[in-house]
Amino acid sequence: MISGTREGPPSNGAPRLIPFGGGKGGVGKTFVAANLATTLAKAGHRVVAVDGDLEGANLHTALGVTRPRNSVAEYAAEREEDVRKLLEETPIANLRLISATRPNLANPQPSHALRVRFVRALRTLDADFVFIDLGAGADSTVMDYFMVCDDGVVVIAPEPTSVENAYAFMRAAFYRRLKLSMLSTDVRKVIALAMDERNERGIRTPLDLLREVKSLDTEEAHRFVEVMRAFRPRIIVNDVRTAEDIRLGFSVRSVCRKYFAIDAEYLGYVNHDAAARASVRARRPLVDSDPRSDAAVYLARIARKLIAPRIDSHMGATL
Amino acid sequence: MKPLAEQDYYETLDVARSANLEDIERAYRLACDTYREDSLAGYPVFEVGDVELLRERIEIAYRILVDPETRRAYDHELSVQASEARAPVGTGAAPAAAGEIGELADARPAAHVLAPLDALDELEESEGEWTGARLRRARLRQGLELDDITKITKVNPTYLSFIEDERFDGLPAAVYVRGFVVGYAGCLGLDAKRVAASYLQRYEERKGGAKRRLFSRK
Repeated sequence: MISGTREGPPSNGAPRLIPFGGGKGGVGKTFVAANLATTLAKAGHRVVAVDGDLEGANLHTALGVTRPRNSVAEYAAEREEDVRKLLEETPIANLRLISATRPNLANPQPSHALRVRFVRALRTLDADFVFIDLGAGADSTVMDYFMVCDDGVVVIAPEPTSVENAYAFMRAAFYRRLKLSMLSTDVRKVIALAMDERNERGIRTPLDLLREVKSLDTEEAHRFVEVMRAFRPRIIVNDVRTAEDIRLGFSVRSVCRKYFAIDAEYLGYVNHDAAARASVRARRPLVDSDPRSDAAVYLARIARKLIAPRIDSHMGATL
Repeated sequence: MKPLAEQDYYETLDVARSANLEDIERAYRLACDTYREDSLAGYPVFEVGDVELLRERIEIAYRILVDPETRRAYDHELSVQASEARAPVGTGAAPAAAGEIGELADARPAAHVLAPLDALDELEESEGEWTGARLRRARLRQGLELDDITKITKVNPTYLSFIEDERFDGLPAAVYVRGFVVGYAGCLGLDAKRVAASYLQRYEERKGGAKRRLFSRK
């Protein structure tokens, strides 16, 4: 289990925001996020779990909250301005929830400006960690939340559809991050062009793009490199059954480096475990209902790594 | 990170310059796995092209690095290149402005590729009991499939999976199970006697429990 010492969150009081994405639905994002949040809460960290999936909210169910009283939907509809009022307790001590139930289906998503404000408000919460469980897809409503930090978590299942979507997801996140960081209009235009996979200029990888940017503007090229280096999504492979499934995480990491110039990190894997399904049915996080189960051991392992000070591959220094 | 054509052999294989033979072997196996035709991780990007070239480069990189002699020669070549590249910069002030973007992009060397997930498992080692699930964790951590264990121990994979799943009903008498577990644990480099004793205790308890229930029903 996790030791009681607090090492992850910054001591100045601002919580660390960790988004969970991955592109494809059904790969276990919510299961993983809910269980990691519970693991940390049980180890004494103050955690807030936020459901970022307004059109398929179920984080509350995974955490055993039957009827959430509040919802992000209230914020989206601008009926509630104070994010703290959306918080509610869960059956787990130290773990609070912001659910996403009861959206206005006619217009479920908050505007971009509202999303930005929401994230800003999350940063002021009195907590050590804020987990954001994202919906499927890689559109801007999801990406805005994934962009809250450079090392968001990407959950993958060992199947082609999931791997494919995970690449698309990381690629989208990376280009979006780039576009937001560039100042020159011309450079932004080239990036927008590169985001179309079948662009005429034959820009296929970020390295091709870097060459283009370099020819336009050296200053921007330096910024580009910085963004490229800082963006380090972390991969979790869920529901593994074989050693080959486990190796998938390393392979994805290798492909990310070679084809997308993205320096992803393999955070760990969760073994396939019948107890996991049982816990979902029982609407209780597995690490709470069955902490000695196989998958729970893996989850505890990942949680430890998730909050450990990050070791930069070059400097060996901590963040 | 650099385009493939500009990567040195260490970068191609994704190993550190200080990698030992075992690291190189492991990285090569992973690379072959990742970039083979039907690879789950690779196939979505193969249409981007270059995969043939990549495989070729991986093969060359491996052959050079796996042989201490060619590796030494290559290392020497690299260090000559590096000093030549450094020379014209002179005292090297204002590195960011002076440096080529390509160099900048590559300031971080090829990472610790197989950033061992292993370190995380050490905590678990201190725990006492050896369950089937724990055996499986130990096996997976070493990248072994059940068939690999069968190859070495000659124990039927069905029995091995029963051992992992603790389906004691499907397993033969204790004396055989002990033998299987000793073989299995030995394969993983574990303290086979200790593991078998711990596992057999669970087996006996459960079996004993089942028997008692059987009798009490009568």
